[in-house]
Amino acid sequence: MQSIINSIIKNRNLIIYIFLSFISFNYLYNNSSVHYSGLGKVGTFISGSTSNIFAYINSYFSLRQENNKLIAENLELKKIESQFINKSDTRDISESEIDKTISAKVILNSINKSKNIIVINKGKLSGITSEMGVISSKVVVGIIKNLTDNYSSIVSLLNTDLKINAVLKNSSTIGSISWNGLDPRIVQLNDIPLSSSIKVGDTIETGGMSFYFPKGIPIGIIEDYNNTSLEGYYSIDVSIFIDFSSLSNLYVIERTDNDEIKSLLNE
Amino acid sequence: MNRELVKDIVLSLVIILSQLMIFNHLYLFGTVNTFIYISLFILYKTTYDKTYLILFGFLVGLIIDLSLQTYGTHTLASITVCYLRERIEKYSFGVNSVLPLAMIRGTRITNRLTYFYLIIFLHLLIYFSLTFFKFEFILTIFLYTLINSIVNFIIIWIVSKLIFDK
Repeated sequence: MQSIINSIIKNRNLIIYIFLSFISFNYLYNNSSVHYSGLGKVGTFISGSTSNIFAYINSYFSLRQENNKLIAENLELKKIESQFINKSDTRDISESEIDKTISAKVILNSINKSKNIIVINKGKLSGITSEMGVISSKVVVGIIKNLTDNYSSIVSLLNTDLKINAVLKNSSTIGSISWNGLDPRIVQLNDIPLSSSIKVGDTIETGGMSFYFPKGIPIGIIEDYNNTSLEGYYSIDVSIFIDFSSLSNLYVIERTDNDEIKSLLNE
Repeated sequence: MNRELVKDIVLSLVIILSQLMIFNHLYLFGTVNTFIYISLFILYKTTYDKTYLILFGFLVGLIIDLSLQTYGTHTLASITVCYLRERIEKYSFGVNSVLPLAMIRGTRITNRLTYFYLIIFLHLLIYFSLTFFKFEFILTIFLYTLINSIVNFIIIWIVSKLIFDK
């Protein structure tokens, strides 16, 4: 207390000066229209700037919350999107139908091995089952392999064991996507016959002829191709739409008709 | 109340009254205002309390503002100059500034000129900045400050000589 009083006494000139300046400014502000508008502008600028800074800092601290909100919103939009696709797609309604979408966060990821695995923070308790497809916003990521109650491992698209049914968007020619284990940005599209017409920049998406993914989920674009193969098939390099090293939020999806198709096959 | 203090109060009153009655109505060359009351802040004795100087500056500034209808511009300029006077003293006189009554007599003329001019210039700069109060008038503010400070400096220098030579 004594030190506070001492400090006030020591700085009394400054305190008096500030106090008297305040009175003078008040006098000026209330009586002169020029100063009223001028100081008003300064006041607006200061309050605007400080509010901006405060809002910026505040938004930084609420990023996690915002992120969760966006994921939830994304999930809702995906459901609406799938419903919309179902209604508009008259060719095969069941083909593009997604029954379940579960959002999850990546907790382990690798791209530098030949058999890359991704681990996510959702498992059996969240309703995930083996062999469900995994996508990242709009791009294919992989397939669920092993499960615990709270975690799941995904066989990444960057795993030499995985083969996914794919189709050329323009010509509907069916092939399969796999990875040769070399460049994590490039996967290979196989089984496209030389009779098909392709060009660099063509989009590749899922063909829908598997239990994992519905038709029309993008994979990448053709970066390069070679038609000198003696086997009668193109050798095509496909550039993936996403960077696998920066995956964070994924969506586990399940087709509605899986059980029905499986039971049909088992008969 | 000692005799010297009474003399200073009377002198201050004379300067304020002459400002109100004569110099407030005097416009040299059509643009130059004469603010002789700044001499009060320059000649305020170093032996008196600095806090009183700020209060004194506020009082004098307020009187001038009320008489000229300038709504606080003189008050703000006066209290700022009074608050910063100690620093200006140190800048102008160096070591001598701590010696009481050493300011006017027995100091070098260049130190005195710097001290006088700095206070007048600072006061007028604040006064004209507040009067124009727009960034686009910055050149006008400096021009007015420069012309007015030179003229006021000459007048205040003469007044201080008259007072102290007596």
